[in-house]
Amino acid sequence: MAKKIVVDPIPRIEGHLRIEAKLNDSNVIEDAFSSGTMWRGIEIILRGRDPRDAWAFAERICGVCTTVHALASVRCVEDALGIAIPPNARIIRNLMNATQQTQDHLVHFYHLHALDWVDVVSALKADPKQASAIAQSISSWPKSSVGYFKDLQQKLVGFVESGQLGIFANGYWGHPAYKLPPEVNLIAVAHYLEALDFQKEIIKIQTIFGGKNPHPNYLVGGMACAIDPNSDTAINIERLSMIKKIIDDTNTFIDQVYIPDLIAIAGFYKGWLYGGGLGNYLTYGDFPETTLADFKSLLWPRGAILNKDLSTVIDVDPRDASQVTEEVSHSWYTYSKGDSKGLHPWQGETKPSYTGPKPPFEHLDTDKKYSWLKTPRWKNHPMEVGPLARVLVAYAKGDPMIKDTVGLVLKKLEVGPEALFSTLGRTAARGIECKQTAGFMRHFYDQLVANIKTGDYRTFNGERWDPSTWPNECKGFGYTEAPRGALGHWIHIENEKIKEYQIVVPSTWNASPRDGNGNSGAYEAALKGTPMHNPEQPLEIIRTVHSFDPCLACASHVFDVNGKEITTVKIV
Amino acid sequence: MKFDRINVIGLGNVLYGDEGFGVQAVKSFLESSEYPDSVKCIDGGTQGIYLLDYLESADAVIVFDALIPLDYDRQVYVYRNEELPGFIHRKMSSHQMGFSELIGLARLRGNMPREIVLIGIPPKDLELGIGLSSEVSSLLPEAVLAGKEIVDEWLSVS
Repeated sequence: MAKKIVVDPIPRIEGHLRIEAKLNDSNVIEDAFSSGTMWRGIEIILRGRDPRDAWAFAERICGVCTTVHALASVRCVEDALGIAIPPNARIIRNLMNATQQTQDHLVHFYHLHALDWVDVVSALKADPKQASAIAQSISSWPKSSVGYFKDLQQKLVGFVESGQLGIFANGYWGHPAYKLPPEVNLIAVAHYLEALDFQKEIIKIQTIFGGKNPHPNYLVGGMACAIDPNSDTAINIERLSMIKKIIDDTNTFIDQVYIPDLIAIAGFYKGWLYGGGLGNYLTYGDFPETTLADFKSLLWPRGAILNKDLSTVIDVDPRDASQVTEEVSHSWYTYSKGDSKGLHPWQGETKPSYTGPKPPFEHLDTDKKYSWLKTPRWKNHPMEVGPLARVLVAYAKGDPMIKDTVGLVLKKLEVGPEALFSTLGRTAARGIECKQTAGFMRHFYDQLVANIKTGDYRTFNGERWDPSTWPNECKGFGYTEAPRGALGHWIHIENEKIKEYQIVVPSTWNASPRDGNGNSGAYEAALKGTPMHNPEQPLEIIRTVHSFDPCLACASHVFDVNGKEITTVKIV
Repeated sequence: MKFDRINVIGLGNVLYGDEGFGVQAVKSFLESSEYPDSVKCIDGGTQGIYLLDYLESADAVIVFDALIPLDYDRQVYVYRNEELPGFIHRKMSSHQMGFSELIGLARLRGNMPREIVLIGIPPKDLELGIGLSSEVSSLLPEAVLAGKEIVDEWLSVS
């Protein structure tokens, strides 16, 4: 008889995602269902507000990616009102975005995902001498002495013996799906702690440009920070050199720690190539060298790949009503013209209508509606978004830097490009992309300095700040490639106020339920076919879902009073 | 020993009624009095791990946050140091890597502030919408005053 496993909730950052997986008799996942269990209603909060304020509300919908929502929001308002921002504002936004992405990927790898592959308790058994030798063989990172690993191990032993496993209390330590030798586990735990120090530094770039962090300041028409090399309060020489140092340290950490760790860890999991899923990938592109409308200038190219076919990249236009749509056949909403009819976000509707079971419940009726997430589709295809989609599109388009890094990682692992279509491929793509965006940080820093040297200090274009200069009615689209994938904000302004606002976030793409044609979303497809060692310890499910970096408060809101455990597992 | 750096952090999601209590409280705290530069006020929103520096870089920390469980008597609760973990558990908007995990990380790294205080109120209304319920609003001044008294006490240490 088929068994059903429920994992609820999964993400370590944001609630609330519920995965239901059906196993066959051999404990292989036969089918999976992904459900957002909280309603999100930012669209309703924004209605009737001043479009210039939208970013400040939008950035509150996600606990992690505040800056990306602010960015997409100001971009959509500027698009609607026809505002061109000064070059400094474009460069600073790109630099902040690259910083956010780099930092987010590091934190994801070390603090949210690594423990799906790294067994902390096994590190207690490591031989510090061997750990030191391995660390020195894979990288020139200086913190690699025998004494360093010995001290760390003793600290860890003390921590565990005091009974305060604390942050590590929820792992499935000792699970046979963990494959790393104790020494590699110890190295990874060392870098887990080092990455914490490091992420505290990198975030300072947001504070310098955005005035504060979290929740840096954005501004419709540009950026709120002033540039003046000779002023104490503005972006000056001293602050610029501080930024330069952070960028250099970031690149060093990625080259000497993140990438070598990724390769070392992945090398022990080459036999675990599950979790590929849809094979359809979508990216809107980002990091404009000129304007957002000039998509040929995007450093991350836009495009779509279908059925893992890397020979063809199809162009993507999120403004086109026939391309990006959302339907609600299996989502707890109703549409005025039928739930299975996909609506482009400019025609989008947000009418919640919960028809699921009353919580707490055993499982959802997945034949009917079963998620608070809408069901976005691109030309009716379910799509995966995020680092793997971006890396594959850039790789398929022949981006030289991406080709180099992908080639290096594949060669070290002795696998072909087809290995990228997997959970591990998704995790590797995040590292590859992190190296790329850290390079972008350098690029945009140099651009900023060069532009300031020409005497251009402008950061804001106020020509259309006054609502009396606006048309009575207009529509806009703003996009960015957030750490988790393609993010779009669509706005409709009427009489100086927001008439409608729709956001399609990355996790809605990836965690979407089935559509009216019965096609699974990206998580659902990725879980199918995965064998589980022990259904009561669903490490394999968590691995694959974490590889997408889910951030479900992004996609869905309101509360779940019962979500006490990090992982609730029931065999139904 | 003197407290050279005091951080006052407000946590919560302002889009969900009383969930925004902590953020509102830190705003009122900032407006309630003139503080020296050693006192920093931070609107932490629903950020998790990204707030680690604000926890570790201070000698003393005050956290304002909505409290779970929801069926506690609605009043201002103040927890100091050891009393504290296990109470910061917001289930609604966020994050299994929440503030309690940050405390765990800071402990592991040996970077805990000398003093940490949580000031919280169990929320009444967590529905989508901006603004606190009248019940929580009416308790806000008391919560802010409790924070102010503690900060004044810390500032008087030389």
